Amino acid sequence: MTTTTLADYRRRVATNRLGLWLFIVSDTFVFAGLYISRFYLLGTSQRPELNQLVGLAVTLVLLASSFFMNRAETAMRYGDRRSFLRGTMLTFLLGVTFLVGVVGVEWQIAPFGPGDGAAASIFYIMTGFHAFHVLTGVIFLAVVYRNGRRGHYSAERHWAVEACAVYWHFVDVVWIFFYPALYLIGVPIM
Amino acid sequence: MEQKAESNLEIKKKEAWQIGLSVFILLLALTVGEYFIGSIAMTWGLILLVIAVFKAFFVVRDYMHLPRLFSAEEEESA
Repeated sequence: MTTTTLADYRRRVATNRLGLWLFIVSDTFVFAGLYISRFYLLGTSQRPELNQLVGLAVTLVLLASSFFMNRAETAMRYGDRRSFLRGTMLTFLLGVTFLVGVVGVEWQIAPFGPGDGAAASIFYIMTGFHAFHVLTGVIFLAVVYRNGRRGHYSAERHWAVEACAVYWHFVDVVWIFFYPALYLIGVPIM
Repeated sequence: MEQKAESNLEIKKKEAWQIGLSVFILLLALTVGEYFIGSIAMTWGLILLVIAVFKAFFVVRDYMHLPRLFSAEEEESA
């Protein structure tokens, strides 16, 4: 690998990074629309009746996944492939656990369906839209893990790992705002 | 010489991991705090929003590495 090639790669990464952040900003507007809709429909005094422990558990799972993703990305940045693979796998498993917690548990035990009023609808659209993003992130993680195992990344060239990490943390940031909006703010109304 | 560079990298990696761990502990503490605030004072929406902004700030700065976006080129990792 020549120095010029690596310099080109770094310039390309800088451009890719800008593109990724532009996508994140545009996606933020969609999530912000849902977030505002929740307060427009229910105000700050009402919220859907949800299982508090499930809400806390899935939130902690997602935070832990972000921690391991950060660890994995840092490991690859310093050429530690083993720690990178371990961190990516743990992030993947925690992402799947989050999905099971929200879609497989919370959706099943919620005492209302998507058509039972504004509170119910906004709960399903917010968690559903977020869950689709988590699913996308889990698929992205699986691809990065597979490529990592095949030795496609190095300390100098691992843009896909960084992109995957930034996307995953973005999904975490969205949940940081959704968790209090859905589970904590207001009195349960149904 | 090469060994020294390698141990330097190891130290840098451990420092970066330490920052990641500190942020994680902070996020955990704030989330548990949010849970208890939500349990005892369901109408403290503004305080919960401020905590969420605080948590997001640390994730965006330390996990998503927003400052990298403003560096002219990919910074040297090795």
